[in-house]
Amino acid sequence: MSLTTVSARVPARVPEGGHPGCCYNPRVAPMHTHRRRGRVAGSVVALSCVVILAGSVVPAQEAQPPSILIARQLAALEGIAVGDEVELTSGEPGSATRRFRVIGTYEPTPNPLQLGVASRGIRMHLTDLLALTRDAATPAGTEHVEGITIALQDPDSTRAFVNDVNARVVGAFALFPGQAAGAGDTFVVLERFHMAIATVTIIAATVFLLALTVMLVDERRATVGVLRLIGFPAHRILVQVLIEGVVLAGAGALFGLALAVASEGLINWFFQWRYDTALIFVHVTPTVALACVAIAVHLGAVATATASWALLRSGGLRLAKR
Amino acid sequence: MSDVIVDAANVSRAFEMPAGAVVAVRDVTLSIAQGEHAAISGPSGCGKSTLLHMLGCVDTPSSGTLCFDGSDVSTLDDRARSRLRLRQIGFVFQRFYLLPMLSAAENVELPQAEAGAAKDVRRLRSIELLEYVGLEHRANHRPSQLSGGEMQRVAIARALANRPRLLLADEPTGELDQATSEQVAVLLDRVNADGTALVIVTHDPDLAGRARRVLTMKDGQIEQEVTR
Ligand SMILES: Nc1ncnc2c1ncn2[C@@H]1O[C@H](COP(=O)(O)OP(=O)(O)OP(=O)(O)O)[C@@H](O)[C@H]1O
Ligand SMILES: [Mg+2]
Repeated sequence: MSLTTVSARVPARVPEGGHPGCCYNPRVAPMHTHRRRGRVAGSVVALSCVVILAGSVVPAQEAQPPSILIARQLAALEGIAVGDEVELTSGEPGSATRRFRVIGTYEPTPNPLQLGVASRGIRMHLTDLLALTRDAATPAGTEHVEGITIALQDPDSTRAFVNDVNARVVGAFALFPGQAAGAGDTFVVLERFHMAIATVTIIAATVFLLALTVMLVDERRATVGVLRLIGFPAHRILVQVLIEGVVLAGAGALFGLALAVASEGLINWFFQWRYDTALIFVHVTPTVALACVAIAVHLGAVATATASWALLRSGGLRLAKR
Repeated sequence: MSDVIVDAANVSRAFEMPAGAVVAVRDVTLSIAQGEHAAISGPSGCGKSTLLHMLGCVDTPSSGTLCFDGSDVSTLDDRARSRLRLRQIGFVFQRFYLLPMLSAAENVELPQAEAGAAKDVRRLRSIELLEYVGLEHRANHRPSQLSGGEMQRVAIARALANRPRLLLADEPTGELDQATSEQVAVLLDRVNADGTALVIVTHDPDLAGRARRVLTMKDGQIEQEVTR
């Protein structure tokens, strides 16, 4: 989920032709500015919605209809090219169709819940959306929008922007991306799922590591016995075995990480290809890497200490005699 | 410093077993002095090895007191007792107990390394000791490449590595043939002649006969003592 997105709940009326948000921060520009100046990385204030394509692609006409962006997948699915004009309807019975001009495609924000479902999303100006979806009974200027998503050019200004909106606009609540109702639900579920997998994996790995170290230490019974007989104190042997265990666990963790990093690209490539999505499936972050190594090293230390403890309780003679 | 290295007063050792305690050593009083050459013999299972292990601080008495250099061993913690074993006592076992992954020289270096000797010092001392036991040409060989007699000589060299005051040998010729046993016996005599107190546990009357003091055990007790 992008950190650059700010969700603003605007229960107040949106004046027709107005672009809520643009007046709050000069960095936020409406979409047509984006088009006029021909900038690629402009900020967008618009609503993402799915509108039913009412008709097929219509030939371009003289008077320029309002512009829209369409999802890459939709463009491919319907054979729409940039510059084409399309007619859209809200899908309500009896609703009128309106003509729009496709000025570009966009990559929809990947949504794990819609994996394998081609996006039919369209992005348009808020005013166009209102005009398209307003029913005949609703007077212009009385529509409600629940929320709009705002992308900032400078993601670091999110906090300042949110504070600014909340301070200046009565009745509007700017929220951080994770706070927007429903925004994080998918990811919360996914995170829990990942946490469950990680927990099971770590428990299994611990059992495996413990078994491995017990074997490793047990193999050294005779050696440890001889060292004890010669006059090596127990703590010296424990430290030695502990170092070995930690190094072993650390090396294992690093190997696992190297494997994960090496296969990260391959896994992402495959699933992105398979589901035609920009969703990132595997991402080994420095935090994840550090956590892996830290957990492994601690587990290694605990496992070897546990395995050695029983061993060092026996006398040197008994161990050496085996 | 007193002449006595190790002093056992009324020591007993019982092993608690599910079927009842096995008393291996019963109320034995014995002291070993500087430079002494003693042998302990007796029938199998009479407690010779158990007594030797207590003298060498490898095992602790169930009752009685055992003093090494005047200090009660039972009051020492693992660190202090290990230090005693490392620096004051050399142990030679019937089964050699060499580390198979180390060469003869490395086996001899091991106790010196633990005692903190510098690398070049311990290298030199290991070669010296291997020369002493007549195995300098096998310094880089692993135990698996040596014969039983050779392994026992390496084990003796290792036991002498930190110049111990007391050398304890449990059946040092138990796994060797007559001729090889004789070589090892001569070597042990020499160690003793060079000033190290020596206590040997053996079934071999020839080996026991070389000692000036011969103790005979029976049922965990010293039944007879002959000094020549
Ligand atoms: N760790 C032990 N647990 C239980 N019993 C033991 C243990 N060590 C020795 N014993 C018992 O103590 C008794 C004396 O054993 P020890 O090994 O001292 O005899 P030994 O005189 O050295 O015999 P050998 O000549 O056969 O080596 C034996 O009955 C033996 O079974
Ligand atoms: Mg014995």
